[in-house]
Amino acid sequence: MVRSDAVAASPFRRGVVLLAATAILAVSSAAATIDAADRFPLAMRDDRGVTVRLPSPPRRVVSLAPSLTESVFLLGKGNLLAGVTRYCNFPPPAASLPKVGGVTDPDVERIVALSPDIVLCTTDGNPRGKVAALEEMGIPCFATAPQDLDSVFSTIERIGAVLGDASRGRSEAAALRRRAERVRRVAGKRGSGAAPSVLFVVSTSPVIVAGNGTFMDELVRTAGGRNAAAGYFGRYPRLSVEDLVAASPDVIFVAGMAGVERFPEETTRWREVPAFRDEAVYTLDGDLVTRPGPRLVAALEEISGYLSAWAARPGESNSGRDGRKR
Amino acid sequence: MRPGPERGFAGARSGTVFAALLAVLAGAVLLSASTGPVRIPLERYLDILLRGGADTSARVLLSLRLPRALLGVLVGGALSSSGVAFQALLRNPLADPYILGVSGGAAVGALSVALFLPTDASPFLPFFAFAGAALSALAVFLLARRRGGVSPERLILMGVVVGAFLNAVIMLMVTLSPPGKIPGALYWLMGDLGLATPGRVGTLLPYVAAGAAVLFALSRGLDLMLLGDHAAFQTGLSVERVKTATYLTASLLAGSVVAVSGLIGFVGLIVPHGARVLVGSGHRKLLPAAFLMGGAFLVLSDVIARTASPSGELPVGAVTALAGAPFFLYLLRRNGGRS
Repeated sequence: MVRSDAVAASPFRRGVVLLAATAILAVSSAAATIDAADRFPLAMRDDRGVTVRLPSPPRRVVSLAPSLTESVFLLGKGNLLAGVTRYCNFPPPAASLPKVGGVTDPDVERIVALSPDIVLCTTDGNPRGKVAALEEMGIPCFATAPQDLDSVFSTIERIGAVLGDASRGRSEAAALRRRAERVRRVAGKRGSGAAPSVLFVVSTSPVIVAGNGTFMDELVRTAGGRNAAAGYFGRYPRLSVEDLVAASPDVIFVAGMAGVERFPEETTRWREVPAFRDEAVYTLDGDLVTRPGPRLVAALEEISGYLSAWAARPGESNSGRDGRKR
Repeated sequence: MRPGPERGFAGARSGTVFAALLAVLAGAVLLSASTGPVRIPLERYLDILLRGGADTSARVLLSLRLPRALLGVLVGGALSSSGVAFQALLRNPLADPYILGVSGGAAVGALSVALFLPTDASPFLPFFAFAGAALSALAVFLLARRRGGVSPERLILMGVVVGAFLNAVIMLMVTLSPPGKIPGALYWLMGDLGLATPGRVGTLLPYVAAGAAVLFALSRGLDLMLLGDHAAFQTGLSVERVKTATYLTASLLAGSVVAVSGLIGFVGLIVPHGARVLVGSGHRKLLPAAFLMGGAFLVLSDVIARTASPSGELPVGAVTALAGAPFFLYLLRRNGGRS
């Protein structure tokens, strides 16, 4: 009896410890800023709060996420990549790099065999245990956890510093910030009266949408739309067709991933949903909107373009369609 | 369950019991039809039901809510009737199509067609689920067969083994399938009445009606089977034929339901016991009572699944299992030593 109690308690206790650790991480990552240090030996805190040390600029880098691979290429350091995940398909040269497994199942042995100077990883995709195993083998791991557009930009700055070119990191991040700012200005000019309600769909059957706290939600809001799913709790609520009718979105974006682009016919038949009636259903490249990397800005610009077209559509008086969204 | 005169509320009052069950079912359907994010004014309901209409309220009611409620009735009723039949056939209170691997066979059938057919396979899905259920039922039946016939113990043992095997196959299919090939498969596997359309309800109706009717016609045989094979044989019943007919009908009934609504566990397990308390274990009353009760139970579970969570819909299979699992444990404890 006593023994079984002890067994039962330990996962619970572990959960509490994990929870506490996560809370500490959240606080420390918010506090983590870019050290001005371009200079090596480098000591920089990552988003876990771990101080990562590098004696000299790395010459061999392994990336454990497509967003990180894209960032490395953006910084002109693609030639340093010794290994990437099997999902790293952009820019095209990334696809032919040696693969070290997937995001959630990286192969520690393969990574070690590549003898990288540093491994770039994420806290919310890569398993903690594998990262710890790499560190035990003496390979420094720099973990990132961008939560919104701003932290995507600052992550690019910090990766620049880690790779030994902090000024390139700053200039690339600044360029992305300027593009995002331009989208915000366009949205501001349209005015809040012309803010369409938007549903960002990640699965069409069943209908699962991006809710609060997702990058897609931020993209829509930044581009001047209102997220029609904001009233639902959770990041990816599942809606019935009736929920979809009640939410009455003006525009629907579908995060294109194999097999989800098409709504079943019986769903699109609901002409009382303005987006279906006006055929304002657009598929966006799923890679663009689900990877917290530099291409989020490209997605943002695309979304902004569609919303501008919506605001400028002829003969429309958006009256009488507000105030009944849930 | 134990054979014998377990009468419950049965007897002179069974008319009242059936009236009450019908009223509960009608209430559940009404509740389901009046619950949802689109507001429909109360006075519109009767109007829409009598005269139809083409506005949003009418369409929501007629092509979303009512089909969903009716699908719940059909699915809940079919699973419960199927459970009654299996419990009588196997003389085991823990039998139901989900546990016996029949539902798993249907799921494997449906997933295979979605995975291996090159294009949009949805029109063929029900047929293959049906075939999968029939095949797994047949496999269990043949595996359980011995020279002396089919013993209930072997049938349930083989059912559990085949069911576990099929569950592993399902997991492999879902894990190994390329992304996007079977969109929504996981949700469908957890049970989903959200796929209800008038067309699907219309397709399912004849299967359920025919299956329930055949089981009802077998009532007397099922009653006698509770006495045990030997006693049943002595009354002149052709035991093997009744067994085979019951087994196949109950399997096909469950299989056709899985094709439309996915895997919904525990309805076929709980409801028969509840119905037995109300009308006793005579199948002429038990089968229809279980059908009505199962329909009401699933429709109400679906209302909970749609409204309980602020983050959209819950899988209805999770709701029925949340209610069913504790009940299952209770039954296991009460029937501790018996097979």
